[in-house]
Amino acid sequence: MKKVALIIAIIAGKFAACLSKMVGTGGTSIPGKIALKLYPQILKELAANISEEIFVVTGTNGKTTTTNMLAGILKEKGYTFVHNRAGANMITGITTAFIKETDWLGKRKTAYALLETDEANVPLLLKQLHPRVVLITNFFSDQLDRYGELDTTINLIKDAVRDTNIELVLNADDPLVTHFKNDTGLHCWYYGFDDTNYDRVLSEEGREGRFCVFCAHELYYQRFHYAQLGKFCCPECGNKNPERNFTAHSLMLTPKIEMKVNDIEIISPYQGFYNAYNVLAAVSLAKLVGIEDAIIQKAIANYEPDAGRMEQFEINNRKVTLILVKNPTGLNQALAAINTEPARKTIFFALNDNVADGRDISWIWDADIEQITVLHLNVEAIVCSGQRSGDIALRFKYADAPVDRIYIEDELQSGIKKALSVAADATYVLSTYTALFICRDILIKLQQESIASADLIDQIQKSTES
Amino acid sequence: MADFIIAHLYPELMNLYGDRGNIICLQKRLEWRGYNSYIEAISPGCQIEFNQYDMIFMGAGSDREQKLVVNELVHNCSDLKLEIEQGLPALFVGGAYQLLGKYYESSDGVQMPGLNLLDFYTQREQNRLIGNIVLAASLHGQPFTVAGFENHAGRTYLEDKEIKALGRVISGFGNNGEDEQEGIWYKNLIATYLHGPLLPKNPILADYFIEVMMNRKGITFASRLDDHIENFAHEQIKKKVLG
Repeated sequence: MKKVALIIAIIAGKFAACLSKMVGTGGTSIPGKIALKLYPQILKELAANISEEIFVVTGTNGKTTTTNMLAGILKEKGYTFVHNRAGANMITGITTAFIKETDWLGKRKTAYALLETDEANVPLLLKQLHPRVVLITNFFSDQLDRYGELDTTINLIKDAVRDTNIELVLNADDPLVTHFKNDTGLHCWYYGFDDTNYDRVLSEEGREGRFCVFCAHELYYQRFHYAQLGKFCCPECGNKNPERNFTAHSLMLTPKIEMKVNDIEIISPYQGFYNAYNVLAAVSLAKLVGIEDAIIQKAIANYEPDAGRMEQFEINNRKVTLILVKNPTGLNQALAAINTEPARKTIFFALNDNVADGRDISWIWDADIEQITVLHLNVEAIVCSGQRSGDIALRFKYADAPVDRIYIEDELQSGIKKALSVAADATYVLSTYTALFICRDILIKLQQESIASADLIDQIQKSTES
Repeated sequence: MADFIIAHLYPELMNLYGDRGNIICLQKRLEWRGYNSYIEAISPGCQIEFNQYDMIFMGAGSDREQKLVVNELVHNCSDLKLEIEQGLPALFVGGAYQLLGKYYESSDGVQMPGLNLLDFYTQREQNRLIGNIVLAASLHGQPFTVAGFENHAGRTYLEDKEIKALGRVISGFGNNGEDEQEGIWYKNLIATYLHGPLLPKNPILADYFIEVMMNRKGITFASRLDDHIENFAHEQIKKKVLG
């Protein structure tokens, strides 16, 4: 009977995945949701088909990019794997990924599973399956209304891994992550950065983890890489960065990422320090899997940015960049990238407050929007859009953006068109999660139209010439 | 020299949600009226002279931080009470609100003493009260609405019927999810669960604090500002919540 129930759940899940593919929405979590309803043990049983190892990647920022890069490396190597793409990182999305990879009988073996996992879902997931490794990228304030306070999230994960034989892969530069060793006693691998040319001696952002987790004394920082990531020590109890197993050094942001991880030379088309951390995390995991340097190098070099991770478009000869923003640290990094753009530009910002965005939008006040000095940086227009267009418009106003350059267009399409219509050479499209794929579709369509009209002009010119 | 000095109490500890939005808002609205202001961050260990300030503000923090702050403030408590009685404008949000009362009781029944400035207490429950919230309030006899976001495990009960709530809950939970009251408004102290950017979206409240600050210095409050974006953001929440 059990067997039949499993097969029915798989069929229902696969059927739902087909349907949603045809309709074009909901393909990432609904199949898993249905299958779990029909057969709650499905994840546990399908996870038993993983013949090698399961890797869980969690933390606030960088989960998607890190997991996708590792997937790129495993693919280059030719291994089979289950992988929840596109940020569907709750139990339902993970179940969907397993269903898509298995056969009708739920028997097909797959070598690896790469599971990007939402922080609050880690305890649930670890009840269903036993990964070899849990990697923690970093902890920042994010979507507090969903999880309560950051401390609670960290403790949830700590409790979930305690008394297991999981190996932890930890960011050695984040004091909110490094204490997992002391509190769990698990075997830990550490990755982190040596001093770089991009470090600061003083922190300019509001940041987490100012106080030692062990003795509550204020931490002393020798250098900051960004936010609370850096070289720290506690003058009271001696808490400091652990010894690293995987060290990134000789970092150059050109704006491509060029660096060495231990002695492997790495070049990635991604941009930004925060992505250098993601590359480092993926390379560290790949080394733990035992993959050859040459394969890692090749996969990382060929790996192009994902949707909304500084994704580039060209619309009517204008450079358009799509950036997902979801918390103060990510937004600060996005604005820092905009600041390096010398051309005249417009900014579009879609702020939604659905559950997946975080219903509480107060985080926009923790971001250092003030770093965008509008007039000095040639920002010609700021178009505020989405369900909470008013809040983001206010945030820009109180960061001294001139009111006559702030436009409110709730509707995403007309908002993007407005940002593209104000004269400038570049447009930055910033969006929270639930507006991201809609914005992306609008940009893809506008890009196609712009290519088509360029072709048409070309043809007309040719025909008048002849 | 600054025209106005606002004390931001323990920003390193009490900064859970975009609380600095309230400080930025006050500072900008003073600046747009031609006044400069200085924000003095008060750190643990500082002796505080409350009569030096034109206004005080404290944001939200988790239970652990609240405890630290109570231990800090307990020595200055009588001064704080005196200044509040004399009309010092003050805004206390979330955890900062809770610690003004008699005690805060955790879900396992352990009581953490508060500053006992006002007659109310708070009990923590497992499930949090989370979401957008809209209140009906009034100022100088004029009704107005307050819009914001709440997220708290504590249920606060006002014992002294003389203490006025900030407003009546039209949509949302408020102090305890039972009696339709939200926050307290005592003299010129407002304490509330509406966290993060409360003042930017509620310019009536922001200007109320500014008016009191100016009056206490003998300056006549005048000049309305162009609040069309503020009002838009305010109405956007109301529309979302009330339909």
